[in-house]
Amino acid sequence: MKGHQILYLVSEAFNTLGRHKAVTFLSIVIMSLTLLVLAVFLLATDNVLTFLDRARREMTVFVYLKDDVPPRTLEEEYKRLLKMGEVETVVFISKEQAMAEFREELGDERSILEVLETNPLPASFRVTLKNEYRKKESIERFAGAMRGAPAVEEVSYGKEFIEQFSTVSRGFLYVDLVLGVIVILSSIFIISNTVRLTILSRQKSIEVLKLVGATNRFITMPFMIEGAFQAGVASLVSLGLLFGIYALTKGLLPDLAFLRPGKIALYVVICILLGSIGSLASLRRHLKL
Amino acid sequence: MDALEPRKVIGVYHLSKTYGDRVVLRDVNLQVGNGEFVFLVGPSGAGKSTLLRMIYMDETPTDGQVVVGSFVSTNLKRRQIPYLRRKIGIVFQDFKLLEDRSVFENVAITMRVAGAPNAEIKKRVMQVLTQVGLYHKRYDRPITLSGGEQQRVAIARAVVDTPEILLADEPTGNLDPEVTKDILQLLLRINSAGTAVLMATHNHELVRNYGQRIVFLRDGTIEEDLRLGLAAFTKDRLGLSEPVGRPLGASGERGETH
Repeated sequence: MKGHQILYLVSEAFNTLGRHKAVTFLSIVIMSLTLLVLAVFLLATDNVLTFLDRARREMTVFVYLKDDVPPRTLEEEYKRLLKMGEVETVVFISKEQAMAEFREELGDERSILEVLETNPLPASFRVTLKNEYRKKESIERFAGAMRGAPAVEEVSYGKEFIEQFSTVSRGFLYVDLVLGVIVILSSIFIISNTVRLTILSRQKSIEVLKLVGATNRFITMPFMIEGAFQAGVASLVSLGLLFGIYALTKGLLPDLAFLRPGKIALYVVICILLGSIGSLASLRRHLKL
Repeated sequence: MDALEPRKVIGVYHLSKTYGDRVVLRDVNLQVGNGEFVFLVGPSGAGKSTLLRMIYMDETPTDGQVVVGSFVSTNLKRRQIPYLRRKIGIVFQDFKLLEDRSVFENVAITMRVAGAPNAEIKKRVMQVLTQVGLYHKRYDRPITLSGGEQQRVAIARAVVDTPEILLADEPTGNLDPEVTKDILQLLLRINSAGTAVLMATHNHELVRNYGQRIVFLRDGTIEEDLRLGLAAFTKDRLGLSEPVGRPLGASGERGETH
């Protein structure tokens, strides 16, 4: 298709939108509400994923050390840990630091510690693994390897939590994927039905275009541009509505975060694609193009 | 093979079309030469529109073959149809104009789909609108025009990109006799410039005045293919009393209701 033809089709699309203001407005309203469902879904997914990621990040393996380990061995052990491929960070917590933290955690009840004559808390290494090793199997393997070391008293990593976490996050991803497909398909369905009205009202002009030798691309392009434009505007409206919902629920869910700019841009692009795909689907269904 | 004969712009060979049990066309053979004018005459329901639709390949034959230029119905791909249509101008009884566009844009659309540059579109549309006598109404909406004017816009749209063939399906069906005559004159003028014209009509009275080839279609079959020189042999069909070779007169009735 030639450049001036594309320019003509773009101007055709916007002329049509302007000529049928009421239909355009109504389409944008319907699309906004449809896309709001998608926006809510994205916000929820994004927050759950952030939460899961944070939980995974907080997965720490505690390597408790024997009390009588000489400092040299400690240092060797520390260096060995750092050299291991799966290890991201290692922090040494001395007996004294452990006690200080414990005291902090107890808060007002720290007086119960006064009965202690010695410090019963062991020194430890707090190890975080690299992201790709924060899985049940890798953590177990790492813990097993550490348990064999002479200076190590015990290794703990919240076995149950990690097992549950793996199941829950895998389950969430499946459910989320299925829901996502359903939400996107129903958006396309509703958008294509919304566009149907416009298409049926322009059946005659489509017929004329076919008679004078217009290719399918020439006929469909203005519709796709209109669909994309309407969906683009609708995506911004739905984002506004989403922000309203977000602001209202902020009191109930203080940890809820709004979509970041990158995600917003992605969402708008997805909506624009849905708009043009919806138009195309409708044209194919009703006009056998 | 017939299809390869030179100078034929339309070739219809053993064409049949059925919808379910209903036979609309049966073994139709019709060739139209380059620059020829042919009236396709028959009562409503004879299959005229279906035959035209087969020629611009809006319908596929149940049997037989249609050849238009290098396009052959039996091995035509759907995506080739637009390019076939660009070789054919089509005019209908109900004009099929776009109400939301000016006269100019209605005519220009043919060249826009073909990808002509704007300057050429402007020049050519102005030229054709002048020829059909509507240059002064180029900015008007079709709805503000009379029936005859609307049909002239439709004809301008059909011929603006100088097609080889002009198909007209009852182009005067909605027009009064005076305007009908104007439209026919316009079609003849277009024909004299080299475009082959195939015009379907149920109006026998109309066609006998022009001395052009007449093809009679009834119940989906071609009853007669009449050229001027053969008119005398079928004068009873046309209800004529004039001797052979004279231009066909306007008198006489056909004992047929439409």
